[in-house]
Parts: sequence; C-alpha cells; structure tokens
Amino acid sequence: MADDFPASHRRDPIKSSVGNVAAQRRRQNAVTVGKERRESLVRAKRLCRVGPSGDGDVPGEENDMVTDEEGFLLDAQTSSAVEDLKSAIAYQGKGAMQKRVNALRELRRLLSKSEFPPVEAALKAGAIPLLVQCLSFGSPDEQLLEAAWCLTNIAAGKPEETKALLPAIPLLIAHLGEKSSLPVAEQCAWALGNVAGEGEELRNVLLSQGALPPLARMMLPNKGSTVRTAAWALSNLIKGPDPKAATELIKVDGLLDAILRHLRKSDEELATEVAWVVVYLSALSNFATSVLVKSDAILLVVERLATSNSLQLLIPVLRSLGNLVAGDSHTTSTVLIPGHEITDGVIKVLVKCLKSDHRVLKKEASWVLSNIAAGSIEHKQLIYSSEAVPLLLRLLSTAPFDIRKEVAYVLGNLCVTPTGGDGKPNLIEEHLVSLVQRGCLSGFIDLVRSADIEAARLGLQFMELVLRGMPNGDGPKLVEQEDGIDAMERYQFHENEDLRNMANGLVDKYFGENYGIDE
Amino acid sequence: MAMVVDYKHDSSFPYWTSIRRRFAPDSPFFSSGNIERELLAKQVALDFTEDERNQLEKMIDTDARGVFCPIVGCGARLTLLEDFEDHYNTRHTASCSVCYRVYPTSRLLSIHVSEAHDSFFQAKVARGYAMYECLVEGCDLKFKNYKGRQQHLVDKHKFPTSFEFFKKAHPSKKQRLKNQRKRAVNKKDEEVSSKMEVENEMMEGLVSAVSKLSTSDSSPSTVSFGRRNARGLTFVPRSVQPPLQKK
Repeated sequence: MADDFPASHRRDPIKSSVGNVAAQRRRQNAVTVGKERRESLVRAKRLCRVGPSGDGDVPGEENDMVTDEEGFLLDAQTSSAVEDLKSAIAYQGKGAMQKRVNALRELRRLLSKSEFPPVEAALKAGAIPLLVQCLSFGSPDEQLLEAAWCLTNIAAGKPEETKALLPAIPLLIAHLGEKSSLPVAEQCAWALGNVAGEGEELRNVLLSQGALPPLARMMLPNKGSTVRTAAWALSNLIKGPDPKAATELIKVDGLLDAILRHLRKSDEELATEVAWVVVYLSALSNFATSVLVKSDAILLVVERLATSNSLQLLIPVLRSLGNLVAGDSHTTSTVLIPGHEITDGVIKVLVKCLKSDHRVLKKEASWVLSNIAAGSIEHKQLIYSSEAVPLLLRLLSTAPFDIRKEVAYVLGNLCVTPTGGDGKPNLIEEHLVSLVQRGCLSGFIDLVRSADIEAARLGLQFMELVLRGMPNGDGPKLVEQEDGIDAMERYQFHENEDLRNMANGLVDKYFGENYGIDE
Repeated sequence: MAMVVDYKHDSSFPYWTSIRRRFAPDSPFFSSGNIERELLAKQVALDFTEDERNQLEKMIDTDARGVFCPIVGCGARLTLLEDFEDHYNTRHTASCSVCYRVYPTSRLLSIHVSEAHDSFFQAKVARGYAMYECLVEGCDLKFKNYKGRQQHLVDKHKFPTSFEFFKKAHPSKKQRLKNQRKRAVNKKDEEVSSKMEVENEMMEGLVSAVSKLSTSDSSPSTVSFGRRNARGLTFVPRSVQPPLQKK
C-alpha cells in the first residue's frame, strides 16, 4: 500500500538547497536575470517541492538550473508521464490504485524539480482533466495528495497556467473540509492559494465557489503547518481590491480569537502568515479594522515588534500597526493616548524600526509616525520629545529617497497644529525652530530639487512654514543660505503649474524688492 | 509653547496640513514591502546569497521608479529618481561665459547672450526691429522691447508676473562680493567689461523702468532667472558673435 505519513508531521513547504554548483549557476544567471525570472520571484505564488513526510527530491545541484537540452528532455519525460497517468486511470484491473499513485508520483516529481517546472508540457499533454479525475470523492488519501500537489505546481507559474486550474477548483475546495486528512487539506489549500495569488478574477471565482469558510476554519487549530498554509492562502484570497472578502473573514466564528491567539503565542513562521492576514483585513475592511482596534491586536502586534528580529515577521506586523493607525481615527484618539503605556510601547517599537538596517521597516515606520504626528498636540509633543526625532533628522539627510519622503511627513506634521474645522492650521513655533536649528531645512530643500511632484510639494510647503514662522524674520535668510532660492527658481520652467505657482508665490512674497536691502 | 497665529491666510498657497494617510494594499507605497515578502519566502527555498537578493531588488526597484524630467520641453527618461540632479546639472544649467548666468536650456542661453551681450542686437532694437523673441519654443513671435515680450509671456503663456528673464538688482552681500571678485579676474579685457557695463546699465535702466510699470505688487528684484552662478557647463552658442572684440 502507499506510504503512511504521520498526520501531524511538521512540514517545511520549502527546503533549502545546499549546492555550491547550483549557487554558482544561479549567480551566473542572476547577472542576466531576465524579466521572466524576476516576475516569477515576486509572484505571490509558491512552488511545493517537499511533501509532508519530507518526501520529494531535495532541490539539488543537478536539478535547479535546467539547460536547454535538459529542459527539452524534461518536457518529453513530462508528456510521457501524463500518458502513463492516462492509461493508469483507464486501467481497471488488479493493482489499479497503485498504478495511479505511481503515475501521479512520477508526474509530481517532474513538476517539483526545478524553479521552472515543465508546466506547459504537462498542460499540452492534457494533465488537468486527468488530475481532476484523480480528485474524485472516495479516492485514497495518497492519490488526492499527489494530484493536489501536481495542481499546486502547475498553478505556481504564469497566469495562463494558473487559470488552467479552473475545472479543478470545486473539488479542491471540497477537500478542504473537516473530513479530509490534514495533509490532503493542506495541499489543496496550497493549490488554491496559488490560484488566489493570480488575480482579482480568479479570487472572485474562488469566493463565489465558497472557498473562504473552509479555509478560515483551517486557521482555528493552535498549530501545525496546515494552519500556516491556510493563513497564507487566505491572505491571497482576501487581498481585494474588493473589501467584501476581508469583511466576511473577520465575521467567521472564532476567527478573531484564532488570530489573536496566533499573534500572541505561535512560532514566528505561523505568526508571519497570520500577520499578513491582519494586514489585508486592516487595509481593506473598515469593519475588520474597528473590530481589531477594539481587541488586543495592537498590543500583540507591538509585542511582536518589540521581541522579534525576523524581517519576515516584522514587515507584516509593522504594516498591520500602520494600517490600524491609518484606517481608524479611534486608534490614535482612544487607544494610543499619550501618556498611556501602550503608546510609549508603540513609539519604542517604531524607533526600533527606524534604527534597523532594513529599508522597508524604516520607510513604513516613518509612515506610521507621520500618522500619529497627525493626531493631537499631545501626540506631536510626545513624538517631538522622543528618541525618534534625532533618528529622523539623520535619515532626512542620509537615507534613500522613499524614506526621506516619509520622514519629511513626520517632521512637517510635528510643526503644525491639528487641522481644525476651519481648515487653517497654525504653526507650532517651538518645534519648527528646534528642528530647523538642528539642520532639517537642507533636507527639505533637497526634496524641492527632486523630480518627484509629491516630494517637491512637501519641500515647498515646509519652506513656506520656515519663511512664515521663524521668529525675527529669520526665515528668508535661512532659506537663502541653503540655496533655497535657487531650488525654487528651477520651477520657472517646470511643467507642473501648481508647483510653479507655489514656488513663484514664495519668491514673490519673501524675496521681493526689499529683500537684502538693509544688509 | 508659543503658537504663531496667522494673519494672512492667502488662499492660493496650499499650506502644510497634518492629515492621516491611508494606502490601499495594492498601492505602490507598499510594493517594496510586498516584493520583500516574496523574495524572503523564496530565499529559503532557492538559497539566495545576500548579493543576489540585493541585485534583484535593485532591478525591480529600477523598473518601478523611473520618472521623466519635468523641465518643460525636455521629457528625458530618468531611470532612477536619484539621476535627476545629475541630469539637471548636465542638461539644464547652460551657463553664460560672459556673465555667468545659468539657464535651463541652450536656446534660452543663446537668447540671453543676444539680448545681454550683443551690441548688434541692441543696435537693431534701437532701429525699431522686433528683436525680443518669445521664450516659448515654437511660438516664434518677436517684440520690439523687453516689456512687450514680458507681457506676452504673462498673457499668452501664463507666466507668473514675477518672472523676469533678465534681472539683477540686489544680489546678496555674499553674491556681490563674489561678483566683484569675478569681475576683477575678467578685467583682462577692459573694453569688454566696460562695454558690458554699459549694456548692463542700459538693461538696468530698462528693467527698472519695467518694474515701475509692473502690475504685480512686489516683483522680486533680487531673484533673477539667470542668476550669477558658475555652476554647470560653460556654453557659448556658436551662432552668436562673441562680444570679445579687441580694438
């Protein structure tokens, strides 16, 4: 009979390869990394190369980078494997089931070998209808597993290949149920996760065929690779842009509890995938956001940010915090009250992110800070007097552009009062003076010089604050010292009319006829 | 904590307001984080070295962050945002070899040189020829005087009233000292400098007359479009007779 695999066996869906040769070949390839490879690397789909019992070829040296000749051979082998499967299915005699499983296994191996499995060959040879047949109810677990595994990898590549899975979707969803063995359910979830990762159209198909409730239920247990795969698949399924799925998900009985439980206690790998679910819940669904804000989610997210050093976990957890702050005014007004412990905790972890080496963390942490700095005066004072400011000032002069832009938002927000009903914010002179004295003006003027419209606008707006708000009329002098006039003059032949008007308006107003006369 | 209350909220400038910013999950704002997620997930499987990953990120980055030069009439594609400063310094800082003013295109520089340093130009103006050409490429209209051209720019091409193609009245003290030094260096050809100063005075006369007639309340008198700055390439268009003529 087939191999028996322990149901609770911890499973690494992806295993590290150890070949020096492979790395070398990849390095050569990396230099000429083509568009196709790049696309495949950033896809939200995942190849399955190792099975639940550690089964499957270790992605090894000979297998990883396939030469043209090897590719041709692989295609031929794949076509013949599909043929074998066809005849195995047709065969009715003794040992039919074993025949089917063997044929499936052979096909699966071919589809798990390299980074670019021979999917096209498999599809051309007619694999899909055969695999769908193998998913029929009552089939033995091993058959279901191998068939779902083949489908997983077929769906892990190009859009048209993923779309080919359409006929298999209803059965894959059916095998997600509680009656299925865990490895089978997990493999089906994986295949569906790849389908969901393709795009909005396929997501809608999955949702209309009822994929969400069973996947959601798979997240309820405390641990196991099944929970992680289900969470990943769900993050692909609800990513919109329609918020309906996200709203539906948070309403599933026990799901919020499960999310909080995993965020609180689970290992980092599982917490990572759950955090991504929270990212999409909070980015898309206002209802989900308010539910999360009222729960312990923020505390738990802050705790993870404080204790983890895994970039994979930090990214979604930081973004969840960011979405919860950005998505609901309640977060800053009722949860993150200045003076409360939780607020100090938030500032602390954001500072930790600012200090990190990772670009994404620095950028998104600055974004979160900018939104908190858009809160009340007390919020602004809190940030202003925290460790964040010296870090931000340094980032403003040294960091890559996208980080500098976010930092600019924070610093500028610290210098103006909250926008009241009449829409006319006033300056917070103390903050403005201090930040300018600490040298932030040149960073803003650099933004004025950039070709990015949004950044240039920010720079000009900050310059206006300086020109207007520095005491003793020091503004114009300071701006001139930093070559601000030069920067503004560039706009005279700039194609953006708004920026032209802004720059010219400032020049007109502050560097007019009488400027410099009394020197 | 003192707060400045603004007494002049002029509605045309979009003042800085602090507002919460929210992004959709598929917003470009999140794309680098999303890419990082997928690369990290595959990194374990494909065992990227740190190097490989950085290379990949850079390549993906480049695709996403290209931008076009925003200077009117340029349209050059800049692969990275960071390239803009270099591009600007190379292509948009054509500098006059006589008076060191800097212009964003060679055409404008050549117009400047004609108008400011060419006695033939001035001679023709004096005889009533329409010599002041419109600064907008393709317009081709010409005017008999600076003011006429200026008005045309404002009326037809929506230039700001504060725009001044040629202007120099109150440079900063630092600038004035710098200019003095430069003039000392160039004293080798006295004829030229005196000629230039005559031209400058004429210009200044024109310009101050213009500013008195100007419609805006406060035309900037210190800031000129072509300001004295020795940055950028020195460029003298071959089509213009250099004013360096020894007697």
